Amino acid sequence: MVLKAFFPTCCASADSGLLIGRWVPEQSSAVVLAVVHFPFIPIQVKELLAQVQQASQVGVAVLGTWCHRRQEPEESLGHFLEGLGAIFSHEPWLQLCRERDSKFWSCKATYQQVPTSPGAHSEDQVMLIFYDQRKVLLSQLHPPAALPDHQAGDATASACGLAAVFDTVSRSKALFRSDQFDEGLVRLSHWQSEGVEASILVELAKQASGPVCLLLACLLSFISAASTCRVFKLWPLSFIWSKLSTCEQLRHRLEQLTLIFSTQKAENPSQLMRKANMLVSVLLDVALGLALLSWLHRKDRIGQLADALVPVADRVAEELQHLLQWLMGAPAGLKMNRALDQVLGRFFLYHIHLWISYIHLMSPFIERILWHVGLSACLGLTVALSILSDIIALLTFHIYCFYVYGARLYCLKICGLSSLWRLFRGKKWNVLRQRVDSCSYDLDQLFIGTLLFTVLVFLLPTTALYYLVFTLLRLLVVTVQGLIHLLVDLINSLPLYALGLRLCRPYRLAAGVKFRVLEHEAGRPLRLLMQINPLPYNRVVHTYRLPSCGCHPKHSWGSLCRKLFFGELIYPWRQRGDKQD
Amino acid sequence: MAYQGGGGHDLGHDPSTALYHDSPGNTVTCRTGAHNICMVSDFFYPNMGGVESHIYQLSQCLIERGHKVIVVTHAYGTRKGVRYLTKGLKVYYLPLRVMYNQSTATTLFHSLPLLRYIFVRERVTIIHSHSSFSAMAHDALFHAKTMGLRTVFTDHSLFGFADVSSVLTNKLLTVSLCDTNHIICVSYTSKENTVLRATLNPEIVSVIPNAVDPTDFTPDPFRRHDSIITIVIVSRLVYRKGTDLLSGIIPELCQKYKDLNFIIGGEGPKRIILEEVRERYQLHDRVRLLGALEHKDVRNVLVQGHIFLNTSLTEAFCMAIVEAASCGLQVVSTRVGGIPEVLPDNLIILCEPSVKSLCEGLEKAISQLKSGALPAPEKIHNIVKTFYTWRNVAERTEKVYNRVAGETVLSMDKRLERLISRCGPVTGYIFALLAVFNFLFLTFLRWMTPDSYIDVAIDATGPKGAWTHQYPYSRKRGKNNEMPQTR
Amino acid sequence: MEDELSFSDIYGGRLALQRRYYSPSCREFCLSCPRLSLRSLTSVTCTVWLAAYGLFTLCENSMILSAAIFITLLGLLGYLHFVKIDQETLLIIDSLGIQLTSSYASGKESTTFIEMGKVKDVIINEAIYMQKVIYYLCILLNDPADPHGISQVVPVFQDCLTAVTLPWRASLWCSSCLLLDGDHGICTD
Repeated sequence: MVLKAFFPTCCASADSGLLIGRWVPEQSSAVVLAVVHFPFIPIQVKELLAQVQQASQVGVAVLGTWCHRRQEPEESLGHFLEGLGAIFSHEPWLQLCRERDSKFWSCKATYQQVPTSPGAHSEDQVMLIFYDQRKVLLSQLHPPAALPDHQAGDATASACGLAAVFDTVSRSKALFRSDQFDEGLVRLSHWQSEGVEASILVELAKQASGPVCLLLACLLSFISAASTCRVFKLWPLSFIWSKLSTCEQLRHRLEQLTLIFSTQKAENPSQLMRKANMLVSVLLDVALGLALLSWLHRKDRIGQLADALVPVADRVAEELQHLLQWLMGAPAGLKMNRALDQVLGRFFLYHIHLWISYIHLMSPFIERILWHVGLSACLGLTVALSILSDIIALLTFHIYCFYVYGARLYCLKICGLSSLWRLFRGKKWNVLRQRVDSCSYDLDQLFIGTLLFTVLVFLLPTTALYYLVFTLLRLLVVTVQGLIHLLVDLINSLPLYALGLRLCRPYRLAAGVKFRVLEHEAGRPLRLLMQINPLPYNRVVHTYRLPSCGCHPKHSWGSLCRKLFFGELIYPWRQRGDKQD
Repeated sequence: MAYQGGGGHDLGHDPSTALYHDSPGNTVTCRTGAHNICMVSDFFYPNMGGVESHIYQLSQCLIERGHKVIVVTHAYGTRKGVRYLTKGLKVYYLPLRVMYNQSTATTLFHSLPLLRYIFVRERVTIIHSHSSFSAMAHDALFHAKTMGLRTVFTDHSLFGFADVSSVLTNKLLTVSLCDTNHIICVSYTSKENTVLRATLNPEIVSVIPNAVDPTDFTPDPFRRHDSIITIVIVSRLVYRKGTDLLSGIIPELCQKYKDLNFIIGGEGPKRIILEEVRERYQLHDRVRLLGALEHKDVRNVLVQGHIFLNTSLTEAFCMAIVEAASCGLQVVSTRVGGIPEVLPDNLIILCEPSVKSLCEGLEKAISQLKSGALPAPEKIHNIVKTFYTWRNVAERTEKVYNRVAGETVLSMDKRLERLISRCGPVTGYIFALLAVFNFLFLTFLRWMTPDSYIDVAIDATGPKGAWTHQYPYSRKRGKNNEMPQTR
Repeated sequence: MEDELSFSDIYGGRLALQRRYYSPSCREFCLSCPRLSLRSLTSVTCTVWLAAYGLFTLCENSMILSAAIFITLLGLLGYLHFVKIDQETLLIIDSLGIQLTSSYASGKESTTFIEMGKVKDVIINEAIYMQKVIYYLCILLNDPADPHGISQVVPVFQDCLTAVTLPWRASLWCSSCLLLDGDHGICTD
């Protein structure tokens, strides 16, 4: 197997010294983490390594020597470096060397146990792979490799392939903590975080966040305790809560906030990411809501809205009346059953009459109500939208009623017709076996059945027409509500933080790595540059999508059409509870 | 060698059929050259039935004889793309829409690009279509003739002449077969029927019966209980197979004989009738409905019985009765189609297709059984074993191929002429027009992707087959290639 | 070391295959598709504009003309950025993995790196593609749950579909480089 040496690019200009890193024997790869510069005392280096090893559970060792020839080649240094192999014994012993005037490095791996043929391992069997230590340290591989067990030490840390490299680098943070500027006993060269001042601010924020979280968490728990109070669990109230999308949305937000401000630390990066996504989503939501609020309260728009609302409701009712009158005549030239037509039409007309009087009773209070509703926008745009959806549902209650009546009647007819059609063919539905059996009927049974069948067939067009018209109206309302819900879901579930991260720091979310072959000269080791392959946007959205407050229609278009045809009710209210049945 | 029953069925003195009656010994050596054969049918594994196993077994034997064989059928569920079966039989499952009864929709045109691509890349020389129910088979014949390839057609079924659907099918068959090089029928009755339906010259019609693998159908007398009599029925439960007759027979015989059991294997839309009969007469312990059977399980069902009952209303060549006889059962069958030719009279009891006649036939069989007049299963097996073998079928089919390879393909003008003259004034002109369109479409395709752009497929079978020669490790490679290939 | 071969794709276009040997353990295939020809570009643009002009003479609304210009520009950008692939590269690094890169005409590159531990085999497969039957090279990935199973089939050079000779050669190449066991795909001679 070819020996692979992963070398950080930041160490390429470092002075000569020792290579520190981890040896992964399964893949015969050496992950270089840092370079120890020359005047050092071997004991101290060993102590440092032991410390790091204890802190990070990674088997950090001295892998070899690093020789950077700035001046004329010094013969003595070469011999000295070779001699170091005796002090820090390691299998194999790497010897990296960078020439002053050439871009190509030489690299040798020697095995001391086979002293007879150190040169047998020729140089082209070593492959140099450069990596950006900072990016590799900060990036997070997707899909996450099996979580290495920190207690079990570095034996289990050998995840497959490159995940091991990532794991090694990310767990050796202890090594990078020692700063370039504070003069330690051992001088190291590796990636440094810049900007000490910024980190002070970060530290302050970190310190402050604890109490703030605690305070908010207390507040939230108080609110949620209040909301679970017994008074709200009584029958009519609980029913109403479950039907209103506003309540669903509020509950969802409350849950999210509780999670964000919970005092527990996030255990893994994905949980942290989730929290950040939620926070950004809530913040954006509130910002949008405030914008809406300011827009509404400027120039008395609420009053205008309220003034417009009652006429609109009146207008809708009037249109419906016209529609019913049209249906009671000869709609589109169809000849209906007159008696049934009149009965149905009058019934619906009376309903509309009731509805109009109800609206007029309400009209003085509408502006007040709207004003309060407008205030709710400061809780977020989604809450305002949910309230809007609820208001639409309430204002079109008559349409819903019509639809239910029509559907029930139609369903009854369809069922009757289908069973009578079976009787007509001398069959019957066997309930126990869930199949159609043949069955011999008496003459009078057949006679009555056929009569009923005829009656139903001739009455079907009238009912079907009413059903069709009201179903179309209902579908219109459902579509509008569905669109509002989609918008709410979008704001709720879009992982904005992750998307921003992907946009500004593509290396943070890594889908994998990619390699580039650097310029190559015969007889020298192959040099590759390892870069982070960022996660595509669609996968970012897919991976980090927040759970929405879930009222997706479960059925497909086909089943929806089937339901419509057989007159079954299609989700009366778009709510979670109704989907299961 | 095929048993030829009911001698009078041969239509005139037919040199082509007379050719195929010599013994297998002196035909093995005559190898004029290997052919590249493409079997086309809508019916193939994983669907199960007579046509499917015919294509499979015939292909296997032809591969054994050194020909290159590929099979083209339509996709079955997730099974689409290219697959290899035993001995490197390459099967193309084309993504064509299935219309009815596993048969694809035919527009005569939409399958041309793919079929042409396959014919060109496999360097096919002979197209062999199976079953007149298969739209794909007819499509392939049509395209192959446009492309100037030689065509062979095997008809597996019989048709009436009276009702509307058969009139239409017969017209289509006339069109499809009028310029086909050679036609193979599975029995003399079938040949007669096909010749009449498609108004063919009997000289280009050969009779090659189906075969069964006698080693798969061996008797096992210990599996059956001699205290009771068991009647076995194995067929698809559809109208053509006479399930309605069966529902009349069962109650009548069960009332008459108390020691009579029925075992019914197979699935189909008419199963419900049998279930109702069983419930109405309380025969749950005496009538066993096994549901769909896999081909390998058929033998295990057959050996449990004493008598095999076949109630088909129409049948070109009944494989089921040969299988049953090979298992040593006494066969009772309707006298329809090619069934009288299949087995000698001492092995079968033939009845008219009516409940009464079938009951009489069964009673005769039962009385024979009770008196011990029936021959031993082993003896029946030994007789039947010699009748029908796939090697023989393959040999005879190979002769058809050799003959066809020597013939010339009709040129476009001759073909149009024949279509117009043979198929009646209206149909003839319509199909001549379609043939011209097809030719234009082919020309367009040839312009879009010239034949030279189509790369030649690597032979798995045939004289240069990668599976049969050269590579000892070819088995393993086959495994690699058999993973799902769906894109 | 570098050599160049020429192949035809399934549509009859020319493909250039470059092979680069960086070292015995690292090789690269580079398959270049034909460039976007000026002729086809001009013809498409002309068609769109002529159609737009026809509409314009019918309804006399100059919005149509500007819309046509935008459509052509956006279409061209989209085509160059998302559809037109200039080059596909297969980089094989021994004991590290296989890297597939496809570079679009706009310069966008999409890269997938498959670690050697995940590669089960490299085979040639046969599939029905549109109205054609093609051979293509693909990489089988191991299923971590099932040692004999295949979790995924990754097609190589899927955007420049090639004639049979290329997959065959490439397969031999891959196997010689990856030191995978034995036989790969269908090889005849």
